[in-house]
Amino acid sequence: MKILAWRAALLLGALAAWEALARPLSPVLYVAPSRLPAAFSRIAAVNDMPPLGAHAWLTLEEVAAAYALAVSAGLWLGFLLGLRRTVGRIYEPLLAAVYAIPSVVWYPSLMLFFGLGPASKIAFGFLLGFFPVALSVLAGIRQVPQHLITVAVSMGARPGAVFRKVMLPAMASTMVGGLRAGLALSVVGVLVGEILGARAGLGYVINYAYGLLMTGEYAALVLIVGAAVLTIDATGAWLESRVRRWTT
Amino acid sequence: MSAAAGEQIVLRDVSKRYETASGTVPAVEDVNIAVRAREFVALLGPSGCGKSTVLGMIGGLVRPDAGRVSIDGVAVTGPDPRKVALAFQDPGLFPWRTALDNVGFGLELQGVPAARRREIARALLEPMGLRGFEAKYPRELSGGMRQRVAIARALALETPIVLMDEPFGALDEQTRILMGEWLVGIRARTHKTIVFVTHSLQEAIALSDRIVVMTARPGRVKDVVDVPLPFPRNVNAPEVVDLRAKLWEQVREESLKALDIRL
Repeated sequence: MKILAWRAALLLGALAAWEALARPLSPVLYVAPSRLPAAFSRIAAVNDMPPLGAHAWLTLEEVAAAYALAVSAGLWLGFLLGLRRTVGRIYEPLLAAVYAIPSVVWYPSLMLFFGLGPASKIAFGFLLGFFPVALSVLAGIRQVPQHLITVAVSMGARPGAVFRKVMLPAMASTMVGGLRAGLALSVVGVLVGEILGARAGLGYVINYAYGLLMTGEYAALVLIVGAAVLTIDATGAWLESRVRRWTT
Repeated sequence: MSAAAGEQIVLRDVSKRYETASGTVPAVEDVNIAVRAREFVALLGPSGCGKSTVLGMIGGLVRPDAGRVSIDGVAVTGPDPRKVALAFQDPGLFPWRTALDNVGFGLELQGVPAARRREIARALLEPMGLRGFEAKYPRELSGGMRQRVAIARALALETPIVLMDEPFGALDEQTRILMGEWLVGIRARTHKTIVFVTHSLQEAIALSDRIVVMTARPGRVKDVVDVPLPFPRNVNAPEVVDLRAKLWEQVREESLKALDIRL
């Protein structure tokens, strides 16, 4: 309780300081918090654009698609490389090498392949979200205590049962961490994609507001995205702590 | 060749080598051991003498390079949870399962319904002083409790044979002695064949009918000593003291070899 009160006080203090600082300065560069409510209502309905809700919905759809792909491909490749030692030894360094390349450099080629529409955003969100999922599966498999597997085998567990009843629970907390990181990065991928080139979506609106120097609206959008991401991540954190409490 | 009457576990001319980075290491060589049904046999020897390897071969976890391991006259080719259950020095409890569900693990693999599993597990845990701890997770239990849960998990399989690999090795001495007394009680009630790996003379004498003394690496059978004393055993009885002195001579010799030092 005390910590929460301090946090709230700190936040309010920062807002007040920002307000005092921004008021006398140029309103284009410095958005005072008191101007945000008006900016919210303006950005919610721009004349020559679909309503903001439609953009948000599109972004959400793109994130969902990108994340679903990232999770399925990441789990598949992670388990393939982790469970088959030889395959893993051949391909794991390649995976790490590709991961080391800053992902943004791929985006122009994704636009060329998939166009300006949602497909290129989904592809980029997938690309960013995929690696943490795949790598966490690999790390998780390595963390499974060999002794627990021996115990299970000594009691007659076949490979399928070892996988379901020992490996999955033993690696769950690591995997959930990777799934959470993957989600955050899928969101980043989709938004960056929309900002770099799109015709719709929250990222597109951010770019639009920024391009017209509508800084109040821009700040409002940043807050909306921030709140959405925080909500998603808090859900992820809650799930992670549940899994962690269960498996350790 | 059929096993002699009453011989349940037979190891004949069994050898095992391990390939390591620095070359081939012979773990056990030409080991011959026969364990009768309902017998409690201790494998005693210095660290690294291959005791655990022998146990692993009986349990079907380790394949011998030469020789034959058989149970009830049938060659061992892999783990057989209908005949053999194992307990290890590291209890190896599943951290995401409660004590009760850990005990039920083997039964779960065999498809025993949940209600029945719980019933069996509860009946095992209760006399082990674990009443009220059924719903606790391993991290909430003491070392001795964890080891009892692990042994309960092995006993739940209701196998005629239980193999124990230094199950009390990681416990403090007091707990260890009490756990030994507890095991003597279990054994009197369940009539199981038990093969028990230990490097403790005291433990071997307190628990077993026969003690197989093993040599330093590569492990061979150095001697087999009968312990014809009634339970419970008084550690200070003259026979026990004599036996301990005799065993210590043999074990000391091998331990020195294992340590590669001269005193």
